[in-house]
Amino acid sequence: MTDDSLLSIRDLRAQFHTDEGVVRAVDGVSFDVGRGETVCLVGESGSGKTVTAESITRLLATPPGRIVGGEIRFDGTDVTSMAEDELRTIRGSRIAHVFQNPQGSLNPVYSVGAQIGEAIRAHRRVSRRHARARAIDLLESVGIPDPAARVDDYPHEFSTGQKQRVAIAMALACDPDLLIADEPTTALDVTVQADILDLLASLQAERGMSILLVTHDLGVVARLADRVVVLYAGTVLERADVVDLFERPAHPYTRALLECLPGVDGEVEPIGGTLPSPIDPPDGCRFAPRCPHAIEECHAGGRPPPSTVGDDHVASCLGYHREYRGAIDLERHPTAEETQRVSDRPDAGIDGGGPR
Amino acid sequence: MAWFVGRRLVWALFATFLVVTLTFALLAASPNPETSQAAWQAAQDGSDPEEARALVDQQHGAGDSLTTQYVSYMVSMFSLDWGQSTTYNEDVTSVIANAWVYSAITVIPATIIAVVVGFGIGLYSATHQYTTADYAATLVAFFGVSIPNFWFAIVLMLVFGELLGLTPISYDSEVPFWSLEHLSYLVLPITVLATAAVASEMRYARAEALEYVSATWTKTARAKGLSETAVTIRHVFRPATVPLVTILVADLVGIIFATAYVVEVIFGIPGLGYVSYQALVRMDTPLVLATTLIPVFVTIVANLCQDLAYTVLDPRIDYEGRSP
Amino acid sequence: MTASTDTTADRERAPTLEPIDWEVVASERDAHRARVTARSLVTAACFLGLLAAWAFDHVARASHEPFLTLATGVAFLGEDGVLTASPSHVDWLFGLTLLVGVRYALVPLWENPRLTRYYWRRIARNRLGVYSLYFLAGVFLVGLIGPLVLGDPEPQWDLGHTPPVGFGGTFAHPLGTTRNGEGILEIVVAGARVSMQVGLIATTISIGLATVVGTTAAFVGGRVDDLLMRGVDLLMTFPTLFFILFLVYIYGGNLFVLVLILAFTTWGGQARLIRSEALQRREEAYIDAARAAGGGPWYVIRRHVVPNVSNTVVTGATLLIPIVILFEAVVAFLGFGDPSVWSWGRIIADGRESLASAWWVSTIPGLVLFLTVLAFNFLGDALRDALDPRHEVNRGR
Repeated sequence: MTDDSLLSIRDLRAQFHTDEGVVRAVDGVSFDVGRGETVCLVGESGSGKTVTAESITRLLATPPGRIVGGEIRFDGTDVTSMAEDELRTIRGSRIAHVFQNPQGSLNPVYSVGAQIGEAIRAHRRVSRRHARARAIDLLESVGIPDPAARVDDYPHEFSTGQKQRVAIAMALACDPDLLIADEPTTALDVTVQADILDLLASLQAERGMSILLVTHDLGVVARLADRVVVLYAGTVLERADVVDLFERPAHPYTRALLECLPGVDGEVEPIGGTLPSPIDPPDGCRFAPRCPHAIEECHAGGRPPPSTVGDDHVASCLGYHREYRGAIDLERHPTAEETQRVSDRPDAGIDGGGPR
Repeated sequence: MAWFVGRRLVWALFATFLVVTLTFALLAASPNPETSQAAWQAAQDGSDPEEARALVDQQHGAGDSLTTQYVSYMVSMFSLDWGQSTTYNEDVTSVIANAWVYSAITVIPATIIAVVVGFGIGLYSATHQYTTADYAATLVAFFGVSIPNFWFAIVLMLVFGELLGLTPISYDSEVPFWSLEHLSYLVLPITVLATAAVASEMRYARAEALEYVSATWTKTARAKGLSETAVTIRHVFRPATVPLVTILVADLVGIIFATAYVVEVIFGIPGLGYVSYQALVRMDTPLVLATTLIPVFVTIVANLCQDLAYTVLDPRIDYEGRSP
Repeated sequence: MTASTDTTADRERAPTLEPIDWEVVASERDAHRARVTARSLVTAACFLGLLAAWAFDHVARASHEPFLTLATGVAFLGEDGVLTASPSHVDWLFGLTLLVGVRYALVPLWENPRLTRYYWRRIARNRLGVYSLYFLAGVFLVGLIGPLVLGDPEPQWDLGHTPPVGFGGTFAHPLGTTRNGEGILEIVVAGARVSMQVGLIATTISIGLATVVGTTAAFVGGRVDDLLMRGVDLLMTFPTLFFILFLVYIYGGNLFVLVLILAFTTWGGQARLIRSEALQRREEAYIDAARAAGGGPWYVIRRHVVPNVSNTVVTGATLLIPIVILFEAVVAFLGFGDPSVWSWGRIIADGRESLASAWWVSTIPGLVLFLTVLAFNFLGDALRDALDPRHEVNRGR
């Protein structure tokens, strides 16, 4: 996008070494996050969205994971080539993370105040007392009642939703420019989910930070996102403004995803087949084995290049490519027979899994 | 918490009581002791079996009813009136009082080495999983836990004492206690003691630390911008101390006591193990009893300390529900 | 089940169920029952046969003549080609242990070849584990057959110490001799039998006790659980070696008694482990299903809890064997063992006096003991990785 975007990822590739072979978890992902903007990374589990998110500050467990190519520019500097020490000054201070599982993201043997204080003192030269006072402020700002009394409590004394609030407080400790939230509400009860999403929205409004939200939940996307990046099997299939995406989804996969949403027209239409093998991905479009519109050309060659389908709206599908525009009729609703053909394809049944 | 500690204390006292009772029951109910002791004599070629038998009877108050014997046994055990040792011609308590220090000079250094080195290597291994160093440490630990301690002691004696002449072969209690020379006598015994213990602690530390190396909170800690050292110590090692402490006591007591026994016998260090061995060989029942019970009491106290440490280390502890 | 592969267009058509021929089912069931009955009968016959042989051995025959005499006609076997066997109590118990092993380990493995191959593939990923298995199978066979072939170590008083081959010795005594002229090779072979017997018998009894106590505590729960586990706590406050020595002091160090002592003093830790495993299993749906189907508590424990903790049991047993072997060796080394039996610990102790002049007496048997223990530990580790799904987390991704 623009040069002044806060985060700019170009052709990112990350791999995992396993007993079965090399898993290409992220295979050429590009997108940008502007200042003050909320971008959602959407995809099924195994699509590489978490690996992408954790590559940004190189939190990826190495080994077995490894960033093998591409560029991650944060505020103009390339993170992939940064020394570990330099990277540490960014982690927690300018880019903060919130993870999916609030039960596990707090260390059970330290009080929440100590863990928030630790995040502050990792980057600011302040006294313990000062850090504690700041921790109380932060707890208050994420909506923990009576923060002065609770700051010395241990994680097990908080509910799951409150733990996630504490984790968010910890992430905000040094006023980051970018907050990466990886499925922050997936492990929570539905009622609590809404609270946390509201909290994130209001915090962003207050602080003007950017948020990169990783989720598989289109409801979350609709609620928070400014722009959306749709990931599939380690590749980007579509990038669009959130309204555009819901109103005019371009890629067959995105359309299928939206079909999965209950309540649109009453009928829920599951996508046939499963994710392709991440070790030996198919040629051509990664989604082709499951795509009811796929033609011969979709199964061969490299991945389809991104085509502009609208204002700041890009889809990687041959259906929008000049040469094939006539051959593929994306507007035609697939017949039952075509849907069946997709779920019967032998390679559609391989369990993708991805790195656990 | 006071309730929890109180309960543990009561259990420790009760366990002591039961253990002493159990030893009485075993001694009282041993099937036909004369025969078994006579068999012992045949095997051991020591003193007169009847004499040993008489000593046991004397201590138990021969001819009394079982209840009277039991009561007097318990009273004398708990009033530290543990009888006379025939081997040393001394009160059992003073034999023990003289011997324990010789056990302590090997057991304490070995314990410290085991904990520090074992945990250190284990932690390094866990945070460097699948590296050559990790494989090497794991392999060495396998050797350490598998090598028979008595044979290891003999091989060390053969190599360092007999062949290289670097260390003295057997212990000499005439050596001044606080001297470098004394230390040279203790190097091999401590090495043998520490080897098995280091290996075992290393394996535990590695296994427990591995549980936390991939925990989300270590990722959170890294995401906060902490250094690898801080992550390892604060977020891997510190939580691992909770399960480690529960293993530590039983494991160290099991390994170090057993090894110390053998090491003292082989090197001739006049500690509790050596005393116990002499007592067994010479059918010195009061001393056998004392040297069997003392490690048990030490274990009970150590278990109590372990429980107390646990309450300090783990904020999650549920004082009501946890079964001891 | 055919319905799911139908296309959406065929949804209206009612799915057809495959007709079941109940006669075939009944006959298959009868055949299965007959097989099970036959197996139970064979098992019972084997155990009874062993019992009868033992009874005959100890009641009917005079103690000095061998139980079994087998003229092989092969001159180097035994004495002039005649193999004789005079089994002791321990030998009989060993036979019983092996029978239990065959019935509850080999037979199930044989009957489920697919599962066996699956486990084998998982174990085979750990090469050290596989080599250890081969090594231990070798030690086992040597211990089982070796003493029959080589005979007992015979002293040759005039011979004295002779070094092993390669250090100035002869092939008459390839591993050298003791001060009394007994061949180290014969002693090592005799010791292999003792170690295997002690290791396998004591472990079988110990694990059996641990399984009974552990599953009962977990499954019955309440007071019984409290009582049993408090008992285990108490047992485990005794440092094992001291407890063993105390019991040996009271009951004597005869091999049969020693085996029982080792079995009785080592089951605590395993019982705890099996209990916690069984507690987790208890929560699972198939246990409820078995109960709902009318299974009594003992039936459920035997048929559903025990098989599902068997992985823990197998791993525990493999790792307990080396511990037991080492304890036996220590007892023998200290001189409290059975003086009529050549244990590795005993020969290591014998060699101490002449360490500088005859190093081979202590070191060679010690090395064999070390390797045996090491192999059991490697194998146990491989088994744990292969059988215990909870350890998956830490394996290579």
